[in-house]
Formats: sequence, C-alpha cells, structure tokens
Amino acid sequence: MTQPVEKKGDRFIIPIGPQHPALKEPGHFEFTVDGEMVTDATVRLGYVHRGIEKGVESRNYVQNLYMLERICGICSHTHAMVYAMGVEKLAGVEAPPRAQAIRLIVAELERIHSHMLWLGVAAHEAGFDTLFMYSWRDRETVMDLLEALSGNRVNYSANLLGGVKFDITPDQVKDILEGMAFLEERNRHYLEVVMNDMLLLGRIRGVGTMSKADAERLGAIGPTGRASGVARDVRLDAPYGAYRTFKPVLMLAETGDLEGRFNVRLREIMDSIRLIREAVTALPEGELTTRMPRRIKEGETVSRVEAPRGEAFYFIRSNGSEMPDRIKVRTPTIFNMATVLTLARGHQLADMPMILVGIDPCFSCNDRMVSLKRQGEEAAGGDAVAGPVMTWNEFRKAVMR
Amino acid sequence: MMNTEELLAAAGALLEPWTVEKTTPEEGRVDIVVEADHLIEAVTALVNAKWGYLSALTGLDLGPEAGRMEALYHFCHYAAVLTLRVRLGRETPVLPTVCGVIPSTSFFERELSEMFGITVEGTPNTDHLFLPDNWPTDTYPLRKDFDASALRAQDENRG
Amino acid sequence: MSEIFALLIFPSGLFLLGLGMAYEWVDRKLLARFQNRIGPRWFQPLADNIKLLAKEEVVPDGVNRLLFIGLPVVALAGALTAALYVPAFGLPPAYSFPGDLIVTIYLLSLMTLCIGLAGANTISRFSLIGATRTLTQLFSYEAPFMLTMLGPAIVARTWQIGAINEFAGAGNWLLLTQPIGFIVALIGLMGKLEMPPFDAPEAETEIVAGALTEYSGRGLALFHLGKGVELVVGVTLIGAFYLGGIANPLEFLIKTGALMLFIVGVQALMARMRIEQTVGLWWRYGSLLVLAQLLLLLIWETIV
Repeated sequence: MTQPVEKKGDRFIIPIGPQHPALKEPGHFEFTVDGEMVTDATVRLGYVHRGIEKGVESRNYVQNLYMLERICGICSHTHAMVYAMGVEKLAGVEAPPRAQAIRLIVAELERIHSHMLWLGVAAHEAGFDTLFMYSWRDRETVMDLLEALSGNRVNYSANLLGGVKFDITPDQVKDILEGMAFLEERNRHYLEVVMNDMLLLGRIRGVGTMSKADAERLGAIGPTGRASGVARDVRLDAPYGAYRTFKPVLMLAETGDLEGRFNVRLREIMDSIRLIREAVTALPEGELTTRMPRRIKEGETVSRVEAPRGEAFYFIRSNGSEMPDRIKVRTPTIFNMATVLTLARGHQLADMPMILVGIDPCFSCNDRMVSLKRQGEEAAGGDAVAGPVMTWNEFRKAVMR
Repeated sequence: MMNTEELLAAAGALLEPWTVEKTTPEEGRVDIVVEADHLIEAVTALVNAKWGYLSALTGLDLGPEAGRMEALYHFCHYAAVLTLRVRLGRETPVLPTVCGVIPSTSFFERELSEMFGITVEGTPNTDHLFLPDNWPTDTYPLRKDFDASALRAQDENRG
Repeated sequence: MSEIFALLIFPSGLFLLGLGMAYEWVDRKLLARFQNRIGPRWFQPLADNIKLLAKEEVVPDGVNRLLFIGLPVVALAGALTAALYVPAFGLPPAYSFPGDLIVTIYLLSLMTLCIGLAGANTISRFSLIGATRTLTQLFSYEAPFMLTMLGPAIVARTWQIGAINEFAGAGNWLLLTQPIGFIVALIGLMGKLEMPPFDAPEAETEIVAGALTEYSGRGLALFHLGKGVELVVGVTLIGAFYLGGIANPLEFLIKTGALMLFIVGVQALMARMRIEQTVGLWWRYGSLLVLAQLLLLLIWETIV
C-alpha cells in the first residue's frame, strides 16, 4: 500500500496505525515530525469498539459477568472481579474469605502475566528481541498455572457473583509455589539486565520523562504514575477483598522516565510473587460461594480495583430489575493516553513506540461502549467475536446482532 | 492522615456553597448535586484543596419519561469517593468544560458528548473519540431511546 | 568462456547466491537458537527467495519506474562483482589487479547507496525516513570501515586483496597486532548489513521496513540476495585480512563460521540503537580508535 507524503503546510506526518508493526492492537497515531524530531501528536481510538457498555444494559447480571470479562484479554480477571465486587456490594452480600483470597491469587497471577507481557513488548520496541523471547517464554509458567487453576489461559472465568468458580487444591498450591520460585529467579535476572545493559539504558534512561507535577496534572495512574512518584495504588488506598489481609508494597520510582517504568513494573512482579506465596500458604478455609439474589436492589455503587495498568473504575446503577440500568467502565489506559500525546513532543521518532508502549496501552480496554443491538433481543454477545475466521460482514453481523 | 469519613466531611464543607442536595448512598461515598453553572467553581475548589483526582465522568440517561440526564464527576481520594452530580434536561443538555481546571478531562468530555449528545461548551476537541467519523449526527448510542435498527438497515444496504 | 563461467556460475554468480543464502540461514538459525527459538529450516532462505521471485512486483504510484526496477539489479550486481576480487570459499580471487581492494570497498558501498536511493525514490513516508537513516548510517560507518581495511594493506604493503591474503596466510594474524581494526571492521560490517543493534534504518516497530517498505516480489528478492552475498564477501574479507588468511575451503568455513558466531552473538545481546546514537558511536569512538591505531601503524612502518 502506498502511503503518499501528506503535507499540511510544512508539516511531515508519520502515521502509526491503525495497522503497524509497533502496535499489537489497532489505534491510530499521527506524529508530525521535523527531521527525526516529533513536534506534534494526535490519537484516534475506537477501532476495537464493541459497544459493551450498551450491551450490558440488555443482559442480566450473570450474563454481564462473562461479557465484561471479555473487555480485555490480558486483565480479564480484573474486569470480572471489579464487576462482581460492585454487584455484591449492591446486593449487600460479601464473598466468603476463601473466595476473596482466590480472587487475589488469580489477580496477582494476572498482574505477573500482564507485566511480563509488557516487558517483552517493550523490549521488542527497543529492538531487544532476545529479552522479548525470554520474557515471553517465562511468562508461559504463569499462563500454565492459570490454565491449571481455571482451565483457560486467558478469560479465566474465576469469578461468580458472590464467590469464585474453582478451588485451589494443595497440589496446585505446590505447583504455584514452584512456579513462583522459578519466576522470582528469572525476574531478578531481568531486573539486573534492564538496570545494567548499557544499550538498553541508552534507549530508556531519560526518555519520556514525566515529572511528578506533570503526572498529576495529566492524570497518570498505575505503574506509569508510580514511575513518576505518584503514590497511588487502589490496593493500598482503598483496600478491597483479600487485600485487607495481604498488603502489597507500594512500588515507586522518582525518575519518571522509561527506566522508572521498567523498574516499577519489574519490582511489582516481585511483590506479586510475594503476595501469592503468602496467600496460598494462608488460604482461609470455608465456602467458595454465597447466595446471591437474582434481582439486585435499586441503587448506585462505585467499584474500584487496581488493574495491572492502574485503577479500573466501575459505576453500576441498578433499577431493581434483573438487568443493570447503566454500567460505566473507566479503564486505566484512557488516563495514560493523554500522557503519551504530551510526552511525544520534543522526542525523536525512534522513541515513539517506546513511549507509547511505556504506558502499557490496552486499546481493547479503552474502546468498549456501544453495540448496535435491537432492544429486547438476546444475543450470545462477546463469544461470537472469538470465532477463528470470519469475513468482515459475518463479523459485523455477529457483533451487531 | 484523615480517615475516609473525615475526608468526605472535608469535601462536603468545601462544596457547601454550591450544594443543592447531599446524600450518602453507601459507606465511603458522598453524592453532591450541583447546578451546571456552579460546576467549574466546585471542581476548582476540589482541585485547589488537592482533594483527590477526577477518576471518571459518567453520563446517565434516566430515560424519556423522566426527561432528565445526569453527568457524574467521580473524584477519588484514597478510599473516599465523591460524586458531583449535575442534572440536565434531556432536550438541550449543556455542560461547561472543566478542561481549564483538569486538562485530562478532554477525553472524557469527548466521550460524553458523542455517546449522550451532551454539549460540552468550551471543550478543546469535539471530534469523535470512539465512534466512526461517518456516524450519523443526532444519534447518541448510550441514550435509552437509541434504536439501532435504522442504523443497521443503512449498514446492510451498504453491504 | 571461462570468464563467463566465473562470472555467472562459479565462484561468483549462482554459487555465491547459494552461499549467501546459506550464510543468511546460519545467521537466522543461530540468532533463533540464542533467543530460545527453533529457527528456520535450512532451505528457508531459498524458499523465501523463490516465493518472492515468483510473485508480482507491485510498482507503486509516484516512483521513477526505471530506478525502481533498476536499483535492486545494480545492488545485486555490485555485490556479485565485489565477490570476484575476494577469496570466496577459500579459492583464489577470480580476478585480481593491484588496487582491487579500493574497488571492492566501493562496490560494497553500492548496495547501501542503492537501498537509500530506492527509499528516496518512493513517496512512502516510512521509505523516506528509512532512506534518510540508511544514508546517515552510511556516512557514519563507511570511513571507519575503510580505515580498518587500510591497516592490513599498510602492513602488507600492497593494495591487492589476493596479496594481502597471502601475506596474512604466512602466519601474520593481524587480529593480534590490530585488534581494534578487527573489532571495528566486524561491527562496521554489521552496520553495512543493518543488523541489530544498527538496524535503525529498518526498525520495524518505527518505520515498518524502512527504505524497502514499498518493495515486493522481485525487487525485494534481489535486495535480499544482495545482502546475503555482501555478508559472505564481508566475512571473507575480514577473515582473510585479520584471521591469518583464507587459503582453502576448509579454512574458509571455519574462519567465516567463527566470525558469524561473533556477529550473531552481538545481535542477540543488544538492543537497537537510535540513529543519532549510531552516528555518535562511530564518530566518537570507532573512527578515533581506528585512526589512532593507523597512526601507530604508520609510525611503526616508518621506523622498521
């Protein structure tokens, strides 16, 4: 495909996306460059918009659990957990302690999985493919553990309204501990590589620097914010579920550059490993589920969870029927996206993929909202999207039913 | 550090001059209704006092019968969640922008206006954020009376 | 008749194309093993090239057709001609004349020049940025690389590749006396071939495929083949000059193999450098160190 030079005035615009090797998901960025220097940046989202926010209004609470889990393939457990917690709060029930601990274990395994995936992608953007291959190989350990627990590598379906679906047996505890020992050793090595490799440091040290004031002004959250010294972590600020018992450690970096973001995420993996160890060895005894009413009381609630990328915020409004009146999903990426556009200016084109990936963007999380759905008609929802090969029209028919 | 109740009390005191109605829907939350005209003052007061951060902007359509829409500005400060609720008419909903106080609101306001048809006066960018560029005007998908069949018919004609 | 045979079949021409693909495979396979992957099977480069050659070549709008089709041919021809003057596969050079070293070095640069022009010829934004980077990189490594070829020539007191090879074969391992030259030459070759960490001109995560983004089918195949040949010529030159000469096929395989191991190791260990880091590295360290070594050599030669 020819992409002719587009000149607006004297501007030379480099498009990145919607399809581009640097992006694993579609998003469209336009960087105005002067030589190698980027002078302006704009973003266009919505390429993976599936209309989930509208879709949930015509499905019942149980169906929505599975629908919302499919917002994101990487932090799927987070979405299901934050939704389940919100609905439980509305219904006035609480999941049993064992269920909450299992939710924590899966959430932390997912955090390791997400951060290691990020490490690989970031290394790839820096042209360091060896680190990419190694970190993704080791990530398999965590994927295998999750598969052993839930039967799935992604979309674990661990949550039920009022509890969790599966138990963790003593054998599985042993496997998890073994896996954690391996991952701890590997991640200590990666931390050493990232902090000492001169060429990689040349690409990340002092690149994409965001001061604490800027981070707060632009609203950076999650590891991106913490790398700039913004001390926010929902797990600590507003402890939920088993995080009231098992406390994470706040990981901060002061530098605010990409090095800080590598540092924070890698140390968070180490902390997640510690949390998982503590949780599996002190797993509370008891039931896995509690009774949930089919109709949820009228009301509004806010549910917040620390996703691997930052705070996930759900606002759930119930009108007393079987279906929610409105669910607002605010994912962390939209907050951090604004930082990319600001940071881009004054950096080199070669740094763009790195800065973009530095916030760990998740376009699927970002784009959700509207579905074209005939009112009162039930549909299979997100599942249809997962079919292997579909023509564009089939795909549209399936998602737009 | 203040505990959650004290934080919420502080916020309540801060917003006292503009409060129309104040409720406590659940533990750790307070819900304050303000007029659209006073929104910027209220948000500025919160930002100046460094009370948390704007975590989300939720649009809410209460349906054609109620004839009302609401915009909810959720501020989070540790475990405390404060909701600034602005009530709007359904016919011509207009909000002032808070981008002047909190620049990162731009994305949220774009989303709100394309999904609910709420005009945000003074917001720096009014382009579609999520919806396609050729999305029909005056069609707001998250409104309760949104009907997809017309759109779909148009889509099928196009193949 | 024998000239045509030498040019088209052996040792240049077809044979060298095959050798180039074999070395490309070695490069890919070793890199894959270092990165904990399985890597391609032995005939993968051949299959790639056959597939590309069989495919339609899309000539995009807005290019100069003649240049677009001609440049890959010139690039490959340049690399193949350069091979005539080096002891490829351990055989004596097919052609030789005093001063062929200079010709070879220029022929090797032809490839990069062609890639740069090919990128600048199209109107794709990625190609243009890629072309700029390719040419910027050319100007940064070319001078140090040339100086490293000069070192052996000075001690051997000849500008003839065959003669330098014989000089080195007489027990003169210049790797020991000119270690800086050896390292810079190898790294320079990697810069020439745009291998990591010097792959900024074709950094896929930034500018897709750089200068060659618009190339498909035959043109892309010819550029790829040319790069393979250039890899062989490059490692042969370095092996002959610095590793005690290349006198027979066995020596060729062992010495170039060792060099490949080194090259791939560097590729696996390093992250990509930004273009201004590459330029800085070459001019601040590469050139200065080689110049210093050259100065010492000249002084030594005058004294002795």
